[in-house]
Amino acid sequence: MRLPAIAIATAAALGIALMTGTAAAAPAVGEAAPAFTGTDTTGKTWALADLAGTPVILEWTNHDCPYVVKHYQSGNMQALQREAADAGYTWLSVISSAPGKQGHVSAEQADQLTASRNAAPTAVLLDPQGDIGKAYGARTTPHMFIIDAQGTLVYMGGIDDKPTTSLADVEGAENYVRLAMADLAAGEPVDKPITRPYGCSVKY
Amino acid sequence: MIRAAAQRLTIILLLAWMPAALATAAPGAPQTRGEPPVDARMLDGAAASAPVITDNVRARLLAERAVVAPGDTLDLALVLDIRAHWHTYWRNPGDSGEPPRIRWTLPDGVVAGAIRWPLPTPIAVGPLVNYGYSDRAVHLVDIRVPADWPVGEPIPITAQASWLVCEEACIPEQGSFSLTLATDAAAAAPPSAAVRRLFATARAALPEPGVVAARLTRGDDALSLRVPAAALPASVQAVHFFPDAWGLVDHAAPQPWRLQTGADGAHLLLELLPGDAAASVPATGLLKVTSADGVRGLRLDATATAAAAPGPAATASAAAPAAGALGLPLALAFALLGGLVLNLMPCVFPVLAIKALGLAGQGGAPFSTRALHGLAYGAGVLGFFLALGLLLLALRAGGAAVGWGFQLQSPLFVTLMAYLFVVLGLSLAGALTLGTGLMGLGQGGGGPAAGHLGAFGTGALAALVAAPCTAPFMGAALGYAMTVPWPAALAVVLALGLGMALPFSLLALSPGLAARLPRPGPWMETLKQALAFPMFATAAWLLWVLAVQTGPGGLAAALTGMLVLAFALWVQERARYARAPWPRVGVGAAVLGLGVALWLGLGLAGRDAAAPGVTATGTAAGAGDSAALPAQPYSAARLAAARAEGRPVFVNMTAAWCITCLVNERVALGRPAVARAFAEGDILYLKGDWTNRDAAITEYLAAFGRNGVPIYVYYPPAGAPRVLPQVLTEGIVLTQIGAG
Repeated sequence: MRLPAIAIATAAALGIALMTGTAAAAPAVGEAAPAFTGTDTTGKTWALADLAGTPVILEWTNHDCPYVVKHYQSGNMQALQREAADAGYTWLSVISSAPGKQGHVSAEQADQLTASRNAAPTAVLLDPQGDIGKAYGARTTPHMFIIDAQGTLVYMGGIDDKPTTSLADVEGAENYVRLAMADLAAGEPVDKPITRPYGCSVKY
Repeated sequence: MIRAAAQRLTIILLLAWMPAALATAAPGAPQTRGEPPVDARMLDGAAASAPVITDNVRARLLAERAVVAPGDTLDLALVLDIRAHWHTYWRNPGDSGEPPRIRWTLPDGVVAGAIRWPLPTPIAVGPLVNYGYSDRAVHLVDIRVPADWPVGEPIPITAQASWLVCEEACIPEQGSFSLTLATDAAAAAPPSAAVRRLFATARAALPEPGVVAARLTRGDDALSLRVPAAALPASVQAVHFFPDAWGLVDHAAPQPWRLQTGADGAHLLLELLPGDAAASVPATGLLKVTSADGVRGLRLDATATAAAAPGPAATASAAAPAAGALGLPLALAFALLGGLVLNLMPCVFPVLAIKALGLAGQGGAPFSTRALHGLAYGAGVLGFFLALGLLLLALRAGGAAVGWGFQLQSPLFVTLMAYLFVVLGLSLAGALTLGTGLMGLGQGGGGPAAGHLGAFGTGALAALVAAPCTAPFMGAALGYAMTVPWPAALAVVLALGLGMALPFSLLALSPGLAARLPRPGPWMETLKQALAFPMFATAAWLLWVLAVQTGPGGLAAALTGMLVLAFALWVQERARYARAPWPRVGVGAAVLGLGVALWLGLGLAGRDAAAPGVTATGTAAGAGDSAALPAQPYSAARLAAARAEGRPVFVNMTAAWCITCLVNERVALGRPAVARAFAEGDILYLKGDWTNRDAAITEYLAAFGRNGVPIYVYYPPAGAPRVLPQVLTEGIVLTQIGAG
């Protein structure tokens, strides 16, 4: 409580001014994906740094959002999750809804949702503070990110090119995530690395 | 000067204690809707579908007239009356959401056009921004009837519409709408006034026809959009750019703008943050321009010259002459001078007094110790200014409209400062032992190293508390700093710090000092305790600022935080000399108390965004103003209107946290002679409140090459505006307005 009192107060005050005044730097395709550490529904910690060597897909989700409902009721998201698992991807579904907001769930509820929807993510990360969401600039549910085995962000954007809530639009849509996975499997750069994410806002 | 400073100090004390009672919070204005919902009684003479009523929207399809002639065109409107606080979307919905869609079922040959979208509004949802509509959205669509349509044959029209409606959660909704148009003129009844008004209002809300050629410059992390001033109304008050497509700009980023004149003529420069696909998305969109004449929507096309990257145009502000004329050497000199004078300003004076006391206590110390002390103090001041300068530059690079003293626009910062001053006050009063380092008071114990660290800390503290004050010369220097590349800008900020550190550092370094200092004695303890009261006064003033910013709730949180903090530090004090586990328990209690106080303060962090509406009126007038001089809130429109009439105007930009401003109002502007002169000269007194962030005021300051408050500008009935000094006297004001 001697000098440090001043130093801490000054640093804290400046730091807070910085926090309230600026947004986090946006992630960029072709550059290292923002590092993150998160806890899944079993309490296990996932860090991007520990996943080096395997490609990763991040899916922002909110089970009550009609756009998410579209892709789960149609079975589209589950099918994509299984394809990704077969291709060696780690699929992390991220829930960034703040407590009290739409889509916020306990670990048990998240597991029930996975079971009842027959979903197949590698894990569901609970991000109620929105730290991972803000690091990635996640804006919508769904909002999809693909990180290659070297840790480079190679895709960010929508799940497909039909920004509607209509189940009928799943068939015939150009699924950007599936196309990106095919490009990567062929050893080619992702043809459409950035697309418009569509859906509900993430409920930070 | 000393006497003046002492007088100012007294005024500060008075100001700090009194005005808590003046803080008021204006209740939010109730939401009003421009037009009542369309109901059946208003539809005489028009064709209308049955309404579709969902949970959140009352929708119907209307035709402008019930009758259309073959070969003619008429407008239909899909009208969505939206539940309060919910919204629907523009064609580019922004960060999330989805625009309404209409699927038409029409007889062969009858053709529906695309939706003509009304001007949208930015709608913030947490950290994201959507573009859309609240209350009512009217989507106009034209229907063309072929010339060979048999007269008398009715035209059945069916529309399947779907829309997403959101508050924070989103609901997709839809409806089916049918109506029939007559083609037999005999059936015509003229449409009711309500229907005519609805269509007229909808047309007025559309962007204007025609496209304005604009220029977009793509930098690494910024986009600059230039719109020729000739295309804009006079006296622009606010602008917002809505890109046609996702990916061009960061929808949530602020859009600072200014009017300037460059090699390519007068134009509006809008700074945007690039979106995720800024390089590939065509640069087209809408510019919503608010001026005294109302709101206009201009279509912009900046695709033609998107790649051109002109050098920095020689910019001269369109709003005022005399901007940016300062060169670097003069700016450095001004900054140094401003820093020197800052020592006499009321914010810094108490800290400096304590510092001088510390020096007196060290009278017997060897010269080398004192010299190091003085240098450490200087380093503290410079270190703080360096950090502040870097932060300010970083924020501006990020597009935030900030200026000198911006940290005081954050309620959390104000709260932390108030905590700090209460703790310092308690320490000086003798209630707490904060140790030797904190104030450099040299109360024994602690080696010389701790003393130097303390001097560094005091330097930083002095600089920290200097923020609410602006000294003469500073405004021009800092305004200049914000227009030049960062190395020069930092040099100016550091020159300011150097000026501030100089007097004390020189005092400490002067060899003959020891002989001239008064002898240490019991008087020092008395003086030290007395100096606790300026500290408490500062804390009280900061709490008043907080009350203006956040209202009674924020004040309660901060006072609770102070209580917890003071109690915890008291526990630590009592436990300090107790037996074994107790001192540690005391430290634990202190840390816990600090934590709780910080947590309470953090609860205030989110409030600054919400605050402008709360404080825009009333409180600025309460900011130490005497009732004698009635002020109107500043707006560019008011200023322009008065100037157009040839009425003289006096503009005062102030902030509750700006002590210099409050003192000026008390000692100069609040004097009866000034009020009389204003009344006799029929001078319009406009006052802008910068307590919270306000882009319009930041803009006004920038037009005068300034970066902080106060600024006083007198506009004579004819001729150029006159900028008054930043420290006012009654005489200066009277002379400047020509009444002296």
